[in-house]
Amino acid sequence: MHGIRRRQEREPTQDELQQAKQRVDRYRALNSHIMDLKAKSVFTKDSLDATKRLLEQNTELHTVWNYRRTIFTSLDEWQSQDARQQMLDGELKFLLDIITKNIKSYWMWNHRMWALSSLPRPEWQRELALVAKLLALDARNYHGWDYRRFVVAQLKDAATDKHAVDIQEFAFTTEQINHDCANHSAWHNRSKLLPEILAQRDEDGQLQALQAENDLILNAIYTDPDDQNAWLYYDWLLDIQKSDADRCRLLRNKIAMIRELLELEEDSKRPLIELVSAYAELERLQSGSVLETEKKECLETLRRLEGIDPYRVGRYTDMSRTLSKQWALAA
Amino acid sequence: MTETFATDAKLLVDKHVEFIQNLDKKQDRLEYWMTEHLRVSGIYWGLVALFLLRRPHALDHEQIISYVLSCQNADGGFGGHTNHDSHLLYTMSSVQILAMLNALDRVDGLRVTKYVLSLQTKSPMTTVCGDKWGEHDTRFAFIALAILSFFNTQDQLDVNGVVEYVRGAMNYDGGFGSKPGGESHAAQVYTSVAALALAGRLDIVDRDRLSSWLAERQLPCGGLNGRPQKLEDVCYAWWVGSALDILQRRHWIQANKLANFVLSAQDEKGGIADRPGDVADVYHTCFGIAGLALVRYPGLEEVDPVYCMPRSVVERLGLDKWQSNVPESWSQQQAY
Repeated sequence: MHGIRRRQEREPTQDELQQAKQRVDRYRALNSHIMDLKAKSVFTKDSLDATKRLLEQNTELHTVWNYRRTIFTSLDEWQSQDARQQMLDGELKFLLDIITKNIKSYWMWNHRMWALSSLPRPEWQRELALVAKLLALDARNYHGWDYRRFVVAQLKDAATDKHAVDIQEFAFTTEQINHDCANHSAWHNRSKLLPEILAQRDEDGQLQALQAENDLILNAIYTDPDDQNAWLYYDWLLDIQKSDADRCRLLRNKIAMIRELLELEEDSKRPLIELVSAYAELERLQSGSVLETEKKECLETLRRLEGIDPYRVGRYTDMSRTLSKQWALAA
Repeated sequence: MTETFATDAKLLVDKHVEFIQNLDKKQDRLEYWMTEHLRVSGIYWGLVALFLLRRPHALDHEQIISYVLSCQNADGGFGGHTNHDSHLLYTMSSVQILAMLNALDRVDGLRVTKYVLSLQTKSPMTTVCGDKWGEHDTRFAFIALAILSFFNTQDQLDVNGVVEYVRGAMNYDGGFGSKPGGESHAAQVYTSVAALALAGRLDIVDRDRLSSWLAERQLPCGGLNGRPQKLEDVCYAWWVGSALDILQRRHWIQANKLANFVLSAQDEKGGIADRPGDVADVYHTCFGIAGLALVRYPGLEEVDPVYCMPRSVVERLGLDKWQSNVPESWSQQQAY
């Protein structure tokens, strides 16, 4: 159970106790009835209806979802494409009706995927629009994004031009990011699409795409230098560069950018830690490229960070010890 | 090195024991019946808490064993309650309960192994599904490896295939998602790292990147969240804490701040909630206490960070051998 506030509870009245008992009895009776039908392998419209009434009250009964699917596939109508289409369209509507009850229900999402995968004529574009609406309400919804990736995979499967699907999805993440550059879920999805996009381009096209990506992430960093995810994405862009020379060049750009940020705010935690890791990475790629003064600055910065961000002191002291050993300097 | 705790509150041991003992008495509540489908997991959560609180006999062992065995189905798997369909989640809880109660011999390990192996799939990729309906997730990759380890039948699984699945779920932030393509989330980080520990492939983990992502889960209030921008929640004391423990980076978060947060989420009547002021439940009681055990809060049994079971139980079963899979270079960097 998450997020349910405690309240001062007074003793319930006789009436309230009666009502509560009735609710429990009704629920238990319906549950027992369904488990009984299931044990007897009763696959009828009536048993289907019973499961619907129970699942409306409790979306977490995975055994009942299983039973419901078995009933569907056992009905005579299942054998007719048109009847099946109608049944499952109705099922999708039912799921939409109860989606607000528990948007985080794994079982409910699984059932939706089953329904779509079983439809003779699934409308994947409509599903895409639906999940876009959902994400508009909650941009970080885990299940929503997982479901979106499922739908996109189906679209790609059915598409003649699979690359166009990737491009469309990539554009969706751009839209999300332009709306809110702190939408980590959008950046994450983008990180899975970018390699596909790059793979379809020639060398010039790839350079262009990476430059555009660089600009986009820098915008996010300037908008909120404290956003840890933006820096992680930026580091990943460095990882996917083709050569160490490119990486070193970008690391120097990163350092210059950090110094700009530190001029605006000198005790900014994230730019400071990124400064140290940029120099550490630079030295690792190209031994001797970092000056003694810069190395000393790194160790001093780690000491400052222990004061600025005391919760992470364990990390900073570990880094100090490692770097001073690597660089043969006093910690 | 032992942690010294300057905590504001105390762990209400007796109250939590009472809370757990009373769980099965709430049959007048609708919620009791609406959570029947995960009863077996509820018992596991309660039992872990009791064992770590050093009150393992506060619940009747024989009664629990009988009940758990009644949840096993013809396919060899276990459901969350008697006559409920088998699923890896409940098979895992069942096996963990039997292990803690020293009753693994009451179940046929080969039957359970057969069930787990039946859930292995090669399409769309090699992985393990939660049940015959086909959902795959890094949770199930971990659970499959863990269950089989209890019966020493791990080598019957395509371990390499499962490892590649987990690797596919790794993201640019060093974290892991629910499946390849999924966004990093602390609970999935735990299951992925624990799976890799069991498979002897911790070398796959980007230790520094992941450790720092995990360390950033600690918020000013001392509590931990599951991913950036989200709220703190007591259960992350376990999901984040255990992953950091396996990575040997427990010291990258503040133990006493975390302990204070967990303790402040206690209900004075017993049980722990997701955050201060909320309703307590057995799930958060379990993972709050397990989180405290991880940071060596005094008076608690040590907990194994892979299995989420008392270390004494894991050692008795010879399951602590995953520790020899930890890359040697990791322990050379100990802070203390």
